[in-house]
Amino acid sequence: MLRVPLIATAVIVVVLAGGWATSLVSAQRKLEPLGPTAPRGDYRVTLDFAPERFHQLRLQEAGRLVEVRGNTVFLRDVTPPALRAIAGEYWVGAVERWDGK
Amino acid sequence: MSEALALPGVAPARLTRRGVGRFAKGSAGVLLLLAAWQLSVPLVGLSPYFYPAPSDVVAAFVDLMRKGILPVYFLDSMGRYFAGLAAGALLGVAGGVLIGLNRTVALTLSPLLRFLFAIVEVAWIPIFVVWFGYGWKTILLALVYVVFFPVLYNTLVGVRTAPQALVNALRSLGANRVQVLRYAILPAALPGIITGLRVGAGFAFRGLVFAEIVAAKTGIGYLIFEGTQTQQTARTIVGMVVMGLTWLAIDQCYLRPIERATIQRWGLTVDAEQRA
Repeated sequence: MLRVPLIATAVIVVVLAGGWATSLVSAQRKLEPLGPTAPRGDYRVTLDFAPERFHQLRLQEAGRLVEVRGNTVFLRDVTPPALRAIAGEYWVGAVERWDGK
Repeated sequence: MSEALALPGVAPARLTRRGVGRFAKGSAGVLLLLAAWQLSVPLVGLSPYFYPAPSDVVAAFVDLMRKGILPVYFLDSMGRYFAGLAAGALLGVAGGVLIGLNRTVALTLSPLLRFLFAIVEVAWIPIFVVWFGYGWKTILLALVYVVFFPVLYNTLVGVRTAPQALVNALRSLGANRVQVLRYAILPAALPGIITGLRVGAGFAFRGLVFAEIVAAKTGIGYLIFEGTQTQQTARTIVGMVVMGLTWLAIDQCYLRPIERATIQRWGLTVDAEQRA
């Protein structure tokens, strides 16, 4: 009788779990070249497109947004959990260390 | 699904064919509209800001997905919607049962509730913004407000129309108040609760768009608003299409099956489509 709602809920759960798992794998892949991360660090986040207001607001949640240059956003004081969250976003192309200059 | 749709004397294969035919007819209507829209764009000769083509809307959809904007906005909207719906429904059912069972509570609260019911949520949102600021609190409160009244009134009607003979029979068998509520009043009120939930779910969906336009920086309602503000009309239309399709999905996957499992199963109403 309630087969359709159950199937729909199962599909939603699978899609959300898949998105979460993909985000974890993606974060791991992007952060691997950085090695161990400091408690607070400065990073350069590169997107495949010019960041819009949405992306700047999302990145501001992770750290102090210092500058946007082309497709790259420069962030200060990013904690490791926040860095993992940023790197997990599929629209983030690359995350690199930034010497703050 | 087929079990729920099964009608006496109608073979399942025929039902499937009928379902496919209905879907084909519905799709043909949508495709015709899209074709007419696309063909009319060069004839009208306006810029995409005033009159975007369906192809512009598809391109905007792909762009919003690629940039990760649409998934986040969609999940934010759905989180708010279901949280508001659940909280509003819980309060509405509890309030309806309480008022339906207690005459003193009914007399005390009825004028106030009738007064509040007349004030639409659109009027409350600016006040909520002043009290709670922009963000999820204001949106959640607006949605709870929208869902609460239809659920409350329908629950109240359901509770009041519970068969008195059944209540008396249970009492004469020694049932206490909780047992009377569980075995007589709540089952009788269930069709009313489901009807209220369905009405409230529809109201909340409309309320969500307005609340997000006024009080949010994310969400599909905000996307609709932001699209026109930044002269990206195609994005606004993407937001509108997403809202429409989401409502269709919620209705088909949740509301209708739940309604079939309760109201129609007990023969209280017949789906208009089944009648056709």
